[in-house]
Amino acid sequence: MIQVAKIIGTGLATTGLIGAGIGIGVVFGSLIIGVSRNPSLKSQLFAYAILGFAFSEATGLFALMMAFLLLYVA
Amino acid sequence: MSTLSFNNISTEVLSPLNQFEIRDLLSIDALGNLHISITNIGFYLTIGAFFFLVINLLSINYNRLVSNSWSISQESLYATIHSIVTSQINPRNGQIYFPFIYTLFIFILINNLIGMVPYSFASTSHFVVTFALSFTIVLGATILGFQKHGLEFFSLLVPAGCPLALLPLLVLIEFISYLARNISLGLRLAANILSGHMLLHILAGFTYNIMTSGIIFFFLGLIPLAFIIAFSGLELGIAFIQAQVFVVLTSGYIKDALDLH
Repeated sequence: MIQVAKIIGTGLATTGLIGAGIGIGVVFGSLIIGVSRNPSLKSQLFAYAILGFAFSEATGLFALMMAFLLLYVA
Repeated sequence: MSTLSFNNISTEVLSPLNQFEIRDLLSIDALGNLHISITNIGFYLTIGAFFFLVINLLSINYNRLVSNSWSISQESLYATIHSIVTSQINPRNGQIYFPFIYTLFIFILINNLIGMVPYSFASTSHFVVTFALSFTIVLGATILGFQKHGLEFFSLLVPAGCPLALLPLLVLIEFISYLARNISLGLRLAANILSGHMLLHILAGFTYNIMTSGIIFFFLGLIPLAFIIAFSGLELGIAFIQAQVFVVLTSGYIKDALDLH
């Protein structure tokens, strides 16, 4: 019973990756739009985009970490 | 009872968390209850220190004026961190904090990269290490702010130009978000490294099971193996990005304490 609940909880925890995926898509989509409007800002915008990518990816990794913890530690 | 035994097996044999276990490598029981030991985390932190010492000795190039290719890598690292510090904190006064930020970046980067070596140990995946760093940094920034501004430092919690009725709520929210910096700064680094290593471990376990179950499956298993290699590349990138993000946020917190918005 606990095993089943663990697996269900893990599956639910991975739904947090939806938001991370959307976030990463928004970051790089905005980067493409920004660069296509003003290509001279490319290097500066890329640095910001990498920072934004790291933030949104970190939120997804929090969900993934919760999933791992539920499956293996709890 | 059966679930308990199954649970024991799954945590002892299959768990990808085994790689993060802290063990005593060398321990002395001295003077009654005093237990002095070198754990594997301390050992790998020492290895990191020696590693960077060796890189520095190589890049000094026997004190010659002309630099070699090792020192060019060091100089580009220096220039990168220097541009982060000057752009984040202050172009003129911010350089006092450059040695601290540089040390922090090197510490996190070296330990992330050492963790990427197979069968080694990722020190930065431990919340003990990263929370020790992040709590110390935020506490230090707060002390810096109080030292510079006195009680005026609390104006950091008041957003500029907000209506008076909303003020108590906003101050509470800002206060909580200021306290949450402690947690979020360390959690981001450790969670990234931890889940990256666990992901690689689980994928590698799957691929090993596929590849050892037959000659056809061996060739079929090359596809997930390519995925693992790609993920290793991503983890190498994350090792750099997370060190950079940690340093950028640290500079931002110091700037908040110095300039109050």
